[in-house]
Amino acid sequence: MTMSNAKSLLKKLKWTWQPESSREAGDSVVRNFLLHWFPAKITRPSMSWGYSFWLGTITAVLFLILTITGVFLMFLYVPSVERAYLSVKDLEFVISFGSFIRGLHRISAHLMVAFVFLHLVRVFLTGAYKNGTAANQNRPLNWIVGVILLLLTLLLSFTGYLLPWDQLAFWAITVGTNIASAAPVVGDWIRFILLGGSTIEQGALIRFYVLHCFFLPLFVIVLFSYHMWRVRKDGGLACVDRLSLSEKKEAVAPNKKKTYSLLGITSGSTVHVQTALVDHERHTVDSSPNLTRRLMVVILATMVVASILTFIFQAPLEEAANPSITPNPAKAPWYFLWLQELVTDTTFTVGGFTVNGALIGGIILPAVLILAAILWPYFDRSSVDSVGIWFAKQRRKQNIIFLIIVLAIAALTFIGTFMRGPYWGLYWPWETWQETPTKF
Amino acid sequence: MKNVKSSPEGLTTRRSFLGKIGLTATLLGVAGQAFAFFRSLVPNVLYEPPQRFKVGTAEQFGEGAKFLEDKKLFIFRNKNTFYAMSAICTHLGCTVKMERLNQSKKVKVGSREIEEVAEFHCPCHGSRYYGDGTNYSGPAPKPLFFYKLEVAPEDGQLIVDLSKKVEKDFRLTV
Repeated sequence: MTMSNAKSLLKKLKWTWQPESSREAGDSVVRNFLLHWFPAKITRPSMSWGYSFWLGTITAVLFLILTITGVFLMFLYVPSVERAYLSVKDLEFVISFGSFIRGLHRISAHLMVAFVFLHLVRVFLTGAYKNGTAANQNRPLNWIVGVILLLLTLLLSFTGYLLPWDQLAFWAITVGTNIASAAPVVGDWIRFILLGGSTIEQGALIRFYVLHCFFLPLFVIVLFSYHMWRVRKDGGLACVDRLSLSEKKEAVAPNKKKTYSLLGITSGSTVHVQTALVDHERHTVDSSPNLTRRLMVVILATMVVASILTFIFQAPLEEAANPSITPNPAKAPWYFLWLQELVTDTTFTVGGFTVNGALIGGIILPAVLILAAILWPYFDRSSVDSVGIWFAKQRRKQNIIFLIIVLAIAALTFIGTFMRGPYWGLYWPWETWQETPTKF
Repeated sequence: MKNVKSSPEGLTTRRSFLGKIGLTATLLGVAGQAFAFFRSLVPNVLYEPPQRFKVGTAEQFGEGAKFLEDKKLFIFRNKNTFYAMSAICTHLGCTVKMERLNQSKKVKVGSREIEEVAEFHCPCHGSRYYGDGTNYSGPAPKPLFFYKLEVAPEDGQLIVDLSKKVEKDFRLTV
């Protein structure tokens, strides 16, 4: 191959990533499969670091890392109660880079829980679940999809930390499935189906394994795709609505490629439409390479931070699962400790009739929270002026209520993490726990 | 234009009738398969340890409590009487630990007073039970369960039956 041939081939491969004109930039989005989900041009506010903090993007990158590391872990892990623990031990001590792959998978999972949650907080505080001005928006629906994605992330985490079949895994399944069985009427049946029997054995492990490696990630991929598609259909991030509201409407000749409602063109003697020109050059840049460049920065930063954290926080492996000894204290991972606190504190008795905290704190309260999150957009009566802006004045009360709930969850998580010792007793974070025998 | 789907009077035409049959057959087929797939996940046979099992002869138990680790069960002996108490916390199923008291303590359970030498505490959410299995603190909604004990006629071993719950006054005299 001659030098010029090689050069033209190279250009063919990378011109979509480095377009030399605005026209080429537009073409790249059409021509390149990886870029097809981007708009040709993107508004400057959408690219801002400080509006969205790119939390959703970071979450998606973490999911990508999890998928790749997860596939390699699938080659090395054996989902059987006899060998699961030993295969994870092999990953830690025998397999080249095994402990790094497992550690990166684990830390990315922790980060993903955190970033999905932060993303939800950002969307709430910016009123981004509200419809703005464009036609056919359905942002409330996308908010619900997001809530479901948060739940799926938590389920993925739960089914994931069961797989090493160590003490953490065994007692988490014990408590988790007993919470399910506290549900009225169908509870015991659900536990039976989840475990594939009435004891925690091979049937339970293989079920959680298939859920973790196939069904739940598949749901995430399907819903994530829909989530992104909706963002495009809703006209981009909510701050774009903000932009079009703040922009003065100008009379322009109708654009042949656009549809307008009759109201837009009936006034005046000539055919003009009143429209806010958010796609005007002063507000937009070409997606390639401007958006792709920032995306690369986010991907790189996420990978670097996750990798560094992997070296700082070694993935723990507790003793092999032992049905006869419950660790003391038996703690869930941090993101479930607020639930562990709730099931601890919510058993109550009314006139000789006792309601198990497992039902109140484990099922009813979380269900109420989820339902409230899902319905919230439909009760938000604030005007379009509070779409896509941090701490809108009209939404002050809502934001305060929301932040109180967030802080309550954070406080319970803190108590569970740092202030609970043997027999779930309360200790100050700096207090040492009393010695307890692990066996008697 | 002539409506091909239904006749002007709203009567079903052959075309729309066959269409409906086709759609129904497809939906039924999918539903039937889905049922078969999910039904396969409900086990018909459980290869699990039996609910009723032998735990050894009376002589093998000393005075007081003995913990059978793999069965999550305490067997108590008081001279020639025996009873079996579950070690599974009634809150969320963790195994309670027996905490021996330094000296015996008198506690009031309901209307009567009992003397206890040990208590049962749960590591998961901090439920506490008196020596007789009565819950007194933490989220546990019920006392620990007691199970039926009997003597096997063929070899004199004690038999526990986890499928038969009994009152806490139950005693087997050997």
